[in-house]
Amino acid sequence: MTVPVIHTEQLTKSYGEHRGIIEVDLDVQPGEAFGFLGPNGAGKTTTIRTLLDHIRPTGGKAFVFGIQTTADPVAIHRRLGYLPGEFVLYDKLTGGQTLEYFANLRGGVDQAYQAALVDRLDLDPSRKYKEYSKGNKQKVGLIVALQHRPDLLILDEPTSGLDPLVQQQFFALIGEAKVEGRTVFMSSHVLSEVEKTCTRVAIIRDGRLVRVDSVEALRDMAHHQVELRFAGPAPAAEFEGLPGVSELVAEDGLIRMRVAGAIAPIVRAAARHELVDFVSREPSLEETFLAEYGTKKTAGPAEVAR
Amino acid sequence: MTGSAAQVQSVSPLSRVFGLGSVFAKTLRDSRRATLLVGGLVGLLVIAVSAGIMSQFSTPEARDEIGNIVNAVPPILAGLAGKPVNVETLGGYLQYKYGGFLPLVTGLWSIMALAGTLAGESRRGSLDLVAAAPISRRRVAVEKAGGHLLMLAVAMLVIGISTAIAGSAFAALPGDEIPPGAAFSFALWLGLMAVAAGSLAFALAPFVGRGSAAGVAGGVMLGGFLLNGYQEAIPQLAPFANLTWWGWTADHIPLAGQFDTVSLAIVAIVSLALLAIGVEAFARRDLGASTAIPGPRLPRAMLGLRGPVGRAASERFPTGLSWGVGLGLFGLIIAGSGASFIEQIGESPEFERVLGSLFPGIDIGTVGGFLQLVFIEFGLVMAGLAAAGLVGGWASDERSGRLEMLLSAPVARRWWPLSGGVGVLAAIVALVIVTATGIAIGAATAGGDVWTPVLGTAAIGLYAAAMAGVGIAVGGLIGPAFAAPTVVALTLTTWLVDLVGGDLGIPDWIHQLALSTHMGQPMVGVWDATGIVACLVLAAGGLAIGTLAFTRRDLRS
Repeated sequence: MTVPVIHTEQLTKSYGEHRGIIEVDLDVQPGEAFGFLGPNGAGKTTTIRTLLDHIRPTGGKAFVFGIQTTADPVAIHRRLGYLPGEFVLYDKLTGGQTLEYFANLRGGVDQAYQAALVDRLDLDPSRKYKEYSKGNKQKVGLIVALQHRPDLLILDEPTSGLDPLVQQQFFALIGEAKVEGRTVFMSSHVLSEVEKTCTRVAIIRDGRLVRVDSVEALRDMAHHQVELRFAGPAPAAEFEGLPGVSELVAEDGLIRMRVAGAIAPIVRAAARHELVDFVSREPSLEETFLAEYGTKKTAGPAEVAR
Repeated sequence: MTGSAAQVQSVSPLSRVFGLGSVFAKTLRDSRRATLLVGGLVGLLVIAVSAGIMSQFSTPEARDEIGNIVNAVPPILAGLAGKPVNVETLGGYLQYKYGGFLPLVTGLWSIMALAGTLAGESRRGSLDLVAAAPISRRRVAVEKAGGHLLMLAVAMLVIGISTAIAGSAFAALPGDEIPPGAAFSFALWLGLMAVAAGSLAFALAPFVGRGSAAGVAGGVMLGGFLLNGYQEAIPQLAPFANLTWWGWTADHIPLAGQFDTVSLAIVAIVSLALLAIGVEAFARRDLGASTAIPGPRLPRAMLGLRGPVGRAASERFPTGLSWGVGLGLFGLIIAGSGASFIEQIGESPEFERVLGSLFPGIDIGTVGGFLQLVFIEFGLVMAGLAAAGLVGGWASDERSGRLEMLLSAPVARRWWPLSGGVGVLAAIVALVIVTATGIAIGAATAGGDVWTPVLGTAAIGLYAAAMAGVGIAVGGLIGPAFAAPTVVALTLTTWLVDLVGGDLGIPDWIHQLALSTHMGQPMVGVWDATGIVACLVLAAGGLAIGTLAFTRRDLRS
């Protein structure tokens, strides 16, 4: 059986009176691109810093590459690349010197690959770190994380501050890492970027995992907002009983409803009447996520699927 | 899955030692300027002062006079100087006059370096990336501390060599020669005093963060210095004085030929233990997690949320209050010891005669007189450093980028330096009030005149305001990064001119440039109008120049 690259058991971290994360159970398989989603303050960064042994769990355990994080963090760090959510590097060093320093801390890196990353992310390495814009500072952090071709990439809000063109480059780099069989663990509160990159997603809210599933399955959570306009009075009764229909509202010749799952039964029922207009809108995954997890309080263990 | 080994450029051995090849190497690289500054400055100072002493006191008669004067100083006044051992020789006089102050300079460097080396990086977030490298946290901490210790050793080596050169080049009379062993023992003592202070900060920083660790270590260093100095005059202080490295090494006076090597070993062992605590605490605790030490906090109603002036005042107020508490306590102890001073002056007609010639027409044998002799010089230095701290806080609005948001509100640009300046001045007023309260309590306890020294405390405020004015002008003209360092440099340069000017034979016109020369004797009610005007001009002019310049330049960070 393959050892998960990341494995947590009831991982808990509390900061005195403040909540951190509560009983997080997570498995990330080798070669997987895994999205870690949640609103601000949900516990994403706390989970990540626990995986790095930057902070220690108050309960449960975390393993990376099968090694308990508190037992041998150096062995774990040797194989990972990390981009923190917030960081400030050394004002007096240039971008190039910063990359050199972090490369040296790893015993050296492939210079050609480092140069290629600098080129692809369009970073001017001759400027001092303090002179960089927010986006360029983020690029330095990304190259620090990527330049040694780590087996595991842990990226906390990686696209923050990057312009769309550089974001494209970033997604391409992540794609290449996946092709090379490396594992990516990426936190975000932007669902669309996780959707582009990842195959599986965990959703954390109020410190607890509320769902772990494939991106496809999350997409299945998506519903259609359907609007039908009839030439005569709206035959609301015919639609009320159909599978997946909810929130049905009828006004004169107009019916509005929410349809989860297949839409074919709606189409067939509508075709039996004189239909003037048919509008079906699919909300984005983000809207679905917000509808499902944006306001609902969590309780009980996460719903986990593979 | 990693890149092919053939393409990986390995780290050169040289860059592992100095440069960007390791945490240790980067620590050395980052410390190079401070090492040159401390080693070079103290080394040059020792050489220059030795040359000055020898040119002024080259005859046996002059040496006897020094010995007589120093030995006539009553213990209550000898507090801030060293023990008078063989002061008729070059080494003995050097250590008597400067031996007490130099460890403060090296200690301050060590505190700033070791408090910030991990906690500072941790606070800004860069340590998250360093700690994600395949290096254990223990190793990161050991390399950081080791880097500082090595650079400190280099600086001490420079000081040792300078002292040996001074002792050999300027020796004029028998006993003046400073053997290399004594010179390096002096340098070793200086280094260990610095390491003791720095290692305390290093041990505390993982628990309480950079600022608090530096504050506590600085307080212990300064407190130990004062307690050790006054323990002979005030025996009640002795039990506390011997709690710090100042008390432990009080009998180690190598330049005077008196050695106490065991005490150095104790300081070294304690320092190593503190460094080990710091390393372990850093390795075991959550990265960046620290507990704030409770300090003066303002109630919500005083947070100054209604406008820029109130906000600036409330931001600076706790700093002013903290400095005031420190200075007030010192003033309280000194003023409270005034009765002993008056008694000891009465017992030493020789010293009374010396004082009479130094302060003609002034009755120095009072509580105010004692404060003038002991408190005011130190108080002015502390006031200057307090002003630097307040100006640094003012400049942090711009350095942190907060000003970008503040000035996006419909507030005229000139309001920021003006309101910030008013906030700094308000904090200085708070500092003066608290200091004066301490002095008033002490003077009342000693049974002397209370009002004259209390009013004299205003000199501290005037000096601080002037220094703050200079800082704000520099911040407006050149940029926020230079504001506080300029005030620190000006304060310390002024202090050094006062301290070594006489021995160096500095021309009087240079001495007259120092603002502290024009402060009169405020603790005994003698004011110098030139100094008062100069302070007011510097405070108001600095604020005006800073405001004008700031409105015309780009925002910087």
